Amino acid sequence: MNPILIERISKSYKGKKGQRIQALSELTLEVKPGEILGVLGPNGAGKSTTIKILTGQIPPDSGTVEILGAMAGSMQARSAFGYLPENPAFYDFLTPREYLHLVGAAFAMSVDRIKSESDRVLALLDLQTDSDRPLRGFSKGMVQRLGLAQALLHDPDLFIWDEPMSGLDPMGRALVKGLMLELKRRGKTIFFSTHVTADVEAVCDRVAVIVGGRLQALNDVQEILADGIEGYQVQILNPSAELAARFSASEDNGVMTELYVSREALPGFLDLASRGGEDIRLIEPRRRNLEQFFLDIVSRNQR
Amino acid sequence: MSKFAVLIQVNLKTILRDRILHAILGAVVVGLLLVPAISSFSMRQVQELAISLALSGISFFLLVMAILLGSSSIWRDVEQRHTTSVLTLPLSRTTYVLAKFAAIAIFLLGTGILLGICSIPLISVAAASYPSDQPILWGNLVVALCGDIAKSMLIAAMALLLSSISTSFYLPFFGSVVLYLCGSASQEVYEYVTGEFVRAMHPLVIVIIKSVYCLLPNLAAFNYKVQAVYALPIPFEQIAWSVGYGTLYVAMILVLAVLTFNRRVLG
Repeated sequence: MNPILIERISKSYKGKKGQRIQALSELTLEVKPGEILGVLGPNGAGKSTTIKILTGQIPPDSGTVEILGAMAGSMQARSAFGYLPENPAFYDFLTPREYLHLVGAAFAMSVDRIKSESDRVLALLDLQTDSDRPLRGFSKGMVQRLGLAQALLHDPDLFIWDEPMSGLDPMGRALVKGLMLELKRRGKTIFFSTHVTADVEAVCDRVAVIVGGRLQALNDVQEILADGIEGYQVQILNPSAELAARFSASEDNGVMTELYVSREALPGFLDLASRGGEDIRLIEPRRRNLEQFFLDIVSRNQR
Repeated sequence: MSKFAVLIQVNLKTILRDRILHAILGAVVVGLLLVPAISSFSMRQVQELAISLALSGISFFLLVMAILLGSSSIWRDVEQRHTTSVLTLPLSRTTYVLAKFAAIAIFLLGTGILLGICSIPLISVAAASYPSDQPILWGNLVVALCGDIAKSMLIAAMALLLSSISTSFYLPFFGSVVLYLCGSASQEVYEYVTGEFVRAMHPLVIVIIKSVYCLLPNLAAFNYKVQAVYALPIPFEQIAWSVGYGTLYVAMILVLAVLTFNRRVLG
């Protein structure tokens, strides 16, 4: 069973002067078990609306959403995932431990388990020393980490996170990326939205691009990266005259020469190099990155 | 512990850790401590004035708390996006609303009892300084205090209802103040329009006034101050009627609050 099944959902909001603003149009998406799927999109693309529908905060105008077989918004569905809202806000009179107690009780965890899991997630998110301090004194990054901690508390199989890296410093971002990969290793499924293509590149199996409320692309991240290879940068020690003549050198320090080989020319280059017994030290792909892929889709849709 | 109990606990912590409430409670305690001194200005009715002042002070505190806590409850959670965190957990909105009310009601009950206990020695001191012809019927004082607590719970329920549909502080705050004022006067207005003095009034107007009277809370039903101050007997039927009326009215208001909040789109 797919953890998330979104079928043809649409959602519109009331705008100024009675106009309807179409936030989502016929969005269909499946999230497979054990994968990390990142949703990319510019501001107002419909990412947060999608997550609000998934978590049952708002109903879609049409279409259906299932979370592990249960209708989105139902108690069964809400018991099945760990949710991190965008810029989370918690009762600031409470301490992290008290808030985690509320979360644990909501998931019908026993008091002992809440305590042990609270210790675990507070340690994981580096919040142990602040666990008994009221949240009102917390920085944005600390609140974000508590948001992640409460999403992890009941150890669900599915995580729905809205901008999980938002407000985090580089250490925090690295921590969260590591956490995501660890969860994936344990077979958990993660669905998250982000603006940052580098985050998708670092952790995602697949990426969905939403622009103007429509799904514009749904691709395997590794395929995008492979398809984006335009050529190769090759470092070679004292290349033969024939090789140097056929491939333009981008850098030459007298010993090591750096050549650019186009994607199409690579087989010919390798053949020639092996016949000539060339000393190849490095072959590195030069590719369009995910950001370029994303920007191409956005600009195509804005035309 | 059940989800409901934990939510009540969280809401109670939020109430008890609010420094503004500490300040208001402190001011009321100081006011109560002044009761014997202020009562002594009345040469003939020191005991009666002491009882009246103590009960009025507690009643005023409970009223302020009920309005502040009720009117700042749900809309503030929505505005500060606490609902996004809490209502995406497996908690029903019904549990959420009822736990909010339960926490406020427990707070009102607890502080009402606490202030009531505090006022016992103060009334005793005042009464001992200038003994009155009338005895102090402590049972009547308890009934009067319970009436005030019940009244404040009803006002809190109304404020909560307004808060469940509102997007700002204004409607629940001013709405509950207006409802309190109307509820305090409704019995007198009803007695006026059903009396002999209104023969000139159009029958339709009387019907409308009676209908509004039925809809508005009748806060006079919880007022036992006169019986407490002057040691008058309180029929059991009257107490039973107040309890029944208060319970039914609060239940209806809470059902309405739950229904409206369940329909509210929070996204």
